[in-house]
Amino acid sequence: MVRMEAVRRELRGSAIALAMVAVTTVVVYALTQSLEVRRGSVIYLLPVLLAGWHLGLIPALVAAVAGVLWSGYFFFSPYYSFYLSRPNEILNLVLFMVVAGVTSHLANSMKTQTEIARKREKEMGDLYAFSRRVAGASSAADIYLAIQEHLASLVQRKVVLFGTGSGGDRDAKPDQGALSQRVHSAIAEVQAGRTATTVDDGAGDIWLVRRVSQKNADFGVIAIDLGSVRPSDIDEVRKRVDDVLSDAAATLERLDVARALNDARMRSETELLREALIGSVSHELRTPLASILGAATVLSKSAVIAKDERLTSLAGVVRDEADRLNNDIQNLLDATRISRAQIRPRQEWIEPQDIVNSALERRRRRLSAHTLSLDVDSNLPFIYVDPVLVEQAFGQIVDNAAKYSPPGSPITVAAKRNGRDVVLSVHDEGVGLTAQENAQLGERFFRGARHAATTSGSGLGLWIAKAFVTANGGKIEAASAGADQGTTVSIHLPFATPASQPEVGPDD
Amino acid sequence: MTEANPVVLVVDDEVQIRRFLRAGLELDGFTVQDAETGADALRWATLKPPDLVILDLGLPDMDGAEVLERLRAWSSVPLIVLSVRSNEAEKVRLLESGADDYVVKPFGMAELLARAHAAMRRHVRVSTGEPVVKVGPLAIDLAARIVTINGARVMLTPKEYRLLQLLAQHAGNVVTHQFLLKEVWGSPHLHDTHYLRIFVRKLRQKIEVDPTQPRILLTELGVGYRLVVPEGASQVAAAK
Repeated sequence: MVRMEAVRRELRGSAIALAMVAVTTVVVYALTQSLEVRRGSVIYLLPVLLAGWHLGLIPALVAAVAGVLWSGYFFFSPYYSFYLSRPNEILNLVLFMVVAGVTSHLANSMKTQTEIARKREKEMGDLYAFSRRVAGASSAADIYLAIQEHLASLVQRKVVLFGTGSGGDRDAKPDQGALSQRVHSAIAEVQAGRTATTVDDGAGDIWLVRRVSQKNADFGVIAIDLGSVRPSDIDEVRKRVDDVLSDAAATLERLDVARALNDARMRSETELLREALIGSVSHELRTPLASILGAATVLSKSAVIAKDERLTSLAGVVRDEADRLNNDIQNLLDATRISRAQIRPRQEWIEPQDIVNSALERRRRRLSAHTLSLDVDSNLPFIYVDPVLVEQAFGQIVDNAAKYSPPGSPITVAAKRNGRDVVLSVHDEGVGLTAQENAQLGERFFRGARHAATTSGSGLGLWIAKAFVTANGGKIEAASAGADQGTTVSIHLPFATPASQPEVGPDD
Repeated sequence: MTEANPVVLVVDDEVQIRRFLRAGLELDGFTVQDAETGADALRWATLKPPDLVILDLGLPDMDGAEVLERLRAWSSVPLIVLSVRSNEAEKVRLLESGADDYVVKPFGMAELLARAHAAMRRHVRVSTGEPVVKVGPLAIDLAARIVTINGARVMLTPKEYRLLQLLAQHAGNVVTHQFLLKEVWGSPHLHDTHYLRIFVRKLRQKIEVDPTQPRILLTELGVGYRLVVPEGASQVAAAK
């Protein structure tokens, strides 16, 4: 197809050349007739030059031959015949052919030069735009995106960026899987310490694999598909890639990305370590705690202790304190789960009163010093929540009410419908909240200054409760008339109607 | 005397836990057999078939769930699992694969004993065909299909009765949502927990003194329901 195209182009060029020769001939004929010109064969160089310049070698040669023939016709004897006999004519022919060749070659190389210049200019423009983009980049991600896009447009092939192998958001590129094994091992090699390498991917494409920055391995690795280039061309491409990357690497340095990446890695490692520590410590603490609590309950039932009231109450203290400690450990574990964003509610339809009753039942002993009253609507709508999380949140609020109100004082627990919400609330007549305390309530580690010294606590409870309720689409609100005026804390949970209802026939 | 005592196989790798369990169970009249590993437990269970198994899930050699599965292949011995908190999905899975009940660490001895006795009573009831289940003031005659509270007849719809019957058969032990839904409404409704909520609400209105503060039909959040056996009603002698 390409060949056909070329032949057609040459034919068209030759036709134009012949037309030019024809026009020249008309002019020459007019000259010979009116001015008696007898030495004008050089005029036929004009179509040859024009054809050579614009149409290429073959049309130029056609013009040369036709021109020599016509000049023989007009200017050499025998006149008005195409017969070439004189050495002058042969010389003309050779001269015309040489002119055709030289002109077309000159034109050709000039065209190539122009083409190259234009391409260079575009590249320079691109590189300039790239530099500006990189210089203005405010984050490493911007730079990496710029590098990837720019190199891809430069080589017109696939470009893949990799992290350093130890984390970072550049690791998860969707098309990594499409890379061949050889490219992968080259990437691993570069990640391991080599600065650059080229590799054949087995499917005929050459890949250039190198570090983004020659100096700093933290900036990751880039793999560029060069296609089926000749080995001699690789150096040129490599040089252009170097230009792009040195610019980018300088900006990366400027942004101090290396340190930021390193810091992020360190931080996530510290975080992991801390959480692993909390996880294992709480496990280590819970096992003996289970023995302590279990043993205390066995002791309190034994005949010797059961008949002595003081000993029974001591066994009760051991049990209650172990219970409290267990709660604190649970809070620590929950806090870690929240900060690792591992709260995944298992939602189901639930009777709101079941959550309230469950939380109170679990705390029966802890609440025994207070006068508890319940105000639960009997026909509350079902709510669609994770009952375990909501129960923990509600229990936390009940615990706080018991903790921050004097023994013997009343605690009122209510479950009501309010508009589109089911509201579970706990009211106590304890220390209350100042406006400022209320504003800070629920912040992680926040503890009211008035009782931080006298009442133990971690400041995690309400923060956890908030996280659990929010995860279920609800919110927590606290209200208090002021210091020592008591507090009401409520959980608001939106309700909806189950999509399907059980079919209830007369026999159900 | 020792011969007459029921045998309990305690499977736990923590020596302190085994110690208090042994003390508590012996005080309650059990003969205790310890096992530290899953392999140990399976060997003892075949050598000397126990009347009750208490199984911790974290064992050094194999997962507690695997011990349960292998044990259940040939034995229907009452079995209580010692579980950790905040993993309701695991509790449900263990109950579905044959555990009779669970207690969450840390737990009190009374709680464990109540669950254990309930499970043992159920096995006795199944083998002797005892028709009446008593839960506090509530009596459910499984043969005559009659429910009474303090002697007064309670009228239930067929589905309400079916629900109560399933809970009564496991009185004292938890019954999962999935089990109840499958037995009462059939497999297509396995995830329609709100069916259960609606019928439990109706049932509570008929059998509870204050339906908003149930004392008989309790909810185990995220797991299922439990008909509660009043404390004090649990003695080994009652099971024997």
